[in-house]
Amino acid sequence: MAVDASPPPQWVTDLNSTPTSKPKSSFPDPPGYTAPLSAKQRSQSSKNAAVRQAPTTEEMDTLKMKKAWELAIAPAKQLPMNAIGMYMTGNSLQIFSIFMVFTLFKTPVMAVLALQRTFAPFETPGTSGRMIGVKLVYVLMNLMMLGLGVWKVNKMGLLPTTRSDWLAWEGERTWSERAVPREWL
Amino acid sequence: MRLHAAVLALAATVAPVAAVFEDDAYHIDFHHALVGIPKRASTFFQKPYAGSKASLLYSLSANHTLGAINPKDGALVWRQVPPSGLPSATKSSLRAGEDQDTVVSAVGDRITAWSAADGRLVWEHRVPGAIVEDLEILEQEDGITNAEAKDAIILLSGATSVVQRLDGKTGRVKWTYTDSSGDTPSQVSSSPTTIFYVSLHTPLLGGWTKLKITALSPITGRSIEHVTLNSEVDSSDDIIFAGANTAAPLLAWTDKSKKTLKVNIIGTKGVSSFDVPSTEPVTKVVLHAPNRVNSLSHVLVEYQTETGHSAVVYHVDLMKSTISKAYDLPYLSGKGTFTTSTADANVYFTRVTENEITLVSSASHGVLGRWPVQSSPQLAGSYPVHGVAEVAAKDNTASAVRCAVIFSNGEFALVRNGELVWTRPEYLSGAVSAVWTELPETEALAAELQVESHQNVVAAYIHRVRRHVRDLEYFPAWLQSLPQRLLGNLGSKKDDATIEDIQHDTFGYHKLAVLATDTGRLVALDVGAKGKVMWNVDLSKLAPGVHFSRPALRSFPGYVEIKDKNMPGTLYVNATTGNSLTLTDMTLEPHVPVDGKNLIVFDLVDGDLQGFLGVKAGPGPMGLGEPVWTFTPPDHERIVTYTARPTDDPVASIGVVLGDRRVLYKYLNPNLVLVTTALDAARRISIYLLDSASGQLLYAVSHDGVDTSRPLPSTITENWFSYSFTRIASPNAQSRGYELVVGDLFESAIPDDRGPLGPSSNSSSILPVKGDSAKPHVLTQSYHITEEISHMTVTRTKQGITSRELLVTLPSSHSIYGIPRMVIDPRRPVGRDPTANEQAEGLSRYMPAILFDPKWSLNHKYEVFGIQDVITTPSGLESTSLVLAYGFDVFGTRVSPSFAFDSLGKGFNKVQMLLTVAGLFVGVLFVAPLVSRKQINSLWAVAS
Repeated sequence: MAVDASPPPQWVTDLNSTPTSKPKSSFPDPPGYTAPLSAKQRSQSSKNAAVRQAPTTEEMDTLKMKKAWELAIAPAKQLPMNAIGMYMTGNSLQIFSIFMVFTLFKTPVMAVLALQRTFAPFETPGTSGRMIGVKLVYVLMNLMMLGLGVWKVNKMGLLPTTRSDWLAWEGERTWSERAVPREWL
Repeated sequence: MRLHAAVLALAATVAPVAAVFEDDAYHIDFHHALVGIPKRASTFFQKPYAGSKASLLYSLSANHTLGAINPKDGALVWRQVPPSGLPSATKSSLRAGEDQDTVVSAVGDRITAWSAADGRLVWEHRVPGAIVEDLEILEQEDGITNAEAKDAIILLSGATSVVQRLDGKTGRVKWTYTDSSGDTPSQVSSSPTTIFYVSLHTPLLGGWTKLKITALSPITGRSIEHVTLNSEVDSSDDIIFAGANTAAPLLAWTDKSKKTLKVNIIGTKGVSSFDVPSTEPVTKVVLHAPNRVNSLSHVLVEYQTETGHSAVVYHVDLMKSTISKAYDLPYLSGKGTFTTSTADANVYFTRVTENEITLVSSASHGVLGRWPVQSSPQLAGSYPVHGVAEVAAKDNTASAVRCAVIFSNGEFALVRNGELVWTRPEYLSGAVSAVWTELPETEALAAELQVESHQNVVAAYIHRVRRHVRDLEYFPAWLQSLPQRLLGNLGSKKDDATIEDIQHDTFGYHKLAVLATDTGRLVALDVGAKGKVMWNVDLSKLAPGVHFSRPALRSFPGYVEIKDKNMPGTLYVNATTGNSLTLTDMTLEPHVPVDGKNLIVFDLVDGDLQGFLGVKAGPGPMGLGEPVWTFTPPDHERIVTYTARPTDDPVASIGVVLGDRRVLYKYLNPNLVLVTTALDAARRISIYLLDSASGQLLYAVSHDGVDTSRPLPSTITENWFSYSFTRIASPNAQSRGYELVVGDLFESAIPDDRGPLGPSSNSSSILPVKGDSAKPHVLTQSYHITEEISHMTVTRTKQGITSRELLVTLPSSHSIYGIPRMVIDPRRPVGRDPTANEQAEGLSRYMPAILFDPKWSLNHKYEVFGIQDVITTPSGLESTSLVLAYGFDVFGTRVSPSFAFDSLGKGFNKVQMLLTVAGLFVGVLFVAPLVSRKQINSLWAVAS
């Protein structure tokens, strides 16, 4: 077969060997187009990111503490709204107010019971010492909620705080004399 | 607690509207509308108006009450009760003219005509200062019957004896005949042409009392002639009959020893004398004659001896003016009586004995009819005393006879052809004291439970198991009765109750009340079974020779104790049977549970109230110990009455819970006694509240301008008292009318404070721990009421939880009202509206007047007359209190002041409930497979 000694056309050359780099062109990229990063660029950029994202454990702990504090204060934020709700429902014994008071008692108690689980994500060797304060505040806040419930129950007259509540336990006096009319004998 | 307050507030809103429910009326209550023991000759059958088909039974009783009774069922058609304050020796009589629409009664100084059909007053004629001795209706005048209105002839005794003729229409006096001879008036009589006035003439110079007969002209009242019979009479009591309105009016009398009977045809001089046909001494002679002008002049003379009775029939010959014996009705042993009845001109005599009724014609001794009297528990052991009869006879054959007979036990009965149609317990009228009893069986269980509560747990458990095993023997019987009881629950219950029903009564509605009457009878009523008489005994048979005046009753488990001031000892009667008990076959219960306390007995001694320490033991009448205190009312006030707190007075709560949940502590002293005194000259009454253990005065108040002659009822219970009085109506008095005062006693005026005694659980009035013994803080409020209260008491329940009602007897409207305690709470705010806290307590603004709300009435349509006393007792249910009012009438009911919160009402449809349950069950049976199929499908079926 006779070998054609003539060089292949340009397009074949272009096809077989893709240019390694983008041909310099004076054309700017169209607006909105981002040129894909080259492998080198990619590796470069990743190298840069690793440098920015090297937080220390202290930083990490501070962050976690911040988050924990937020969680601890959260019940207090609900307090004003709950208080208004409680005030609005009145002191009569109705099914709605009873349910509301029930949740008012249930939520803080359940929250306190689930204390460890709530704060487990923030528990690190570094924060464990400081978490006690956070938890205390959390319990305190829940107790405030509970206090609101107690106040409400008291308003409803369900707390045995007055003399009349203990009247049944008070006895009639025993008199050491018994006087009767004669005709009763 | 607020809940408590809410419940109280709820109770406050509902309590004032508590009333007798329509479906409860006539079911839970009963009323014995009584007339009293009917009097002989003032009891008769009479048509209420001319042409009436049926006749009524009119009766004037021993206590002067006039009543019309329906002979068909014994129901009272109407009655008229005499005005109160009649002297006991008042004479009274009742007459009715033939075919008249009025009956005329004479009681004391009043002659009154009543409409026979409805008992309305037609006219009244009063002669102040005189007493009506006799009353007759003038049937005929000169032989002509006045069909319009028949006039009445009355005989009055007083300063002079007076015979008057009263117009039958208006009661106006037509003429007056005055007898100034000083003779003792006895009777009036009339023949078709003449009026006769019978008097007893005693010569001034001594000698025998003789009968004087004055014939009067019916038209002018002038005396036509005087006849003095030549036969002596000892006293007015020996005159046994002066017939009226017959062709031949008769006058009959006996000698003192009742050996001979003397009869005179009034208007003639002749006296026929007959020997009494009995060998035994005769105790009573009664003459029965027809009281119709056109009937035959045949009379029957009844002779009663101690052991039997007999009668003789006499015929009067008008032409010859002679009386001849016709035939004898032979002597029969045992008690019996005779009655007269007429049919056209024929006269029939009915002989009523304990076991037979025989009817004879007056003409011959042949028996026209004979009916055995069926025995009945009501009439057991009693005999007929007197009666009236109506005969349906035709051509000498009697088809029917009905007799209204009063029996010796006080039962007024109608016997028709030997069959007992109805009885009326007339012996109950005039009940003087009553008491609730407990049956011994129920007490036995209480005793067993008492034993268990005092043992330790194991022993108590064994005891209980043993008791249950013992109770198993009643199990088959209980099982047998179960279907019947269930059906009874679904349907209406029968009213007939026996002692067993009372024992098996779950709700405790069936309670026996024992009443003592002024005639010396002791009667037990079952209040839960519409006042059914369970037993009825004569006290004079239990204690021979004692005339009971006012027996005092006391009830103990299983027996009733009877004391009377005319009886030296004490009588014990079995509560279940009414039989007398002796001390050997019973165990006496202590009178007052003392429980180691110092017993102090107080009594009225010479107008002062004195307290004595303890009771001296020893035989004879109970002696009193050392006097420890004396209460002498100031200014020589007279102690009218005193009321002590009842022994059994349970209090559920020792304090009153205020709206703000604080507590006002009640002053609960078991020894409180409320003394009412009166100073008649100053028209003042005073109320003293004493601690009867120490005699200390706790509270005193006086009211001026009070009519002290009116009743001053008072009551005290728990921590409150109440009394009522009548203001004198004077022109310058600030207040008039009737007042009701209610007072509450508290330990302290300050809430949450228990006063000087503090929280100490023991207290003594004689030896106070802290200086002076505590005085209560008293709050009172007075109200004007519209009617006078003659008696007041309070409802009582088992635990004292239910709010109370003040039961007041209102004599002027013949009713009993239950005033809710909430209405008369002395803590009602005065002059301002109640605050929210006070509203929560149920207090309303004070109003100076209480109008009796008709809803408070307990007796609704019944009219209760002459109530002396009202007694209450707890029922088995906490909500309900049993009430019995007695006196002239007997009325019983049960009240639920806070509604029947622990029982289902009559409106509850048990059948519907059962049907609903059954329907739901059937529905479940159908639905269950559907649901299970759906559940399985939801698990297995592929969702498409």
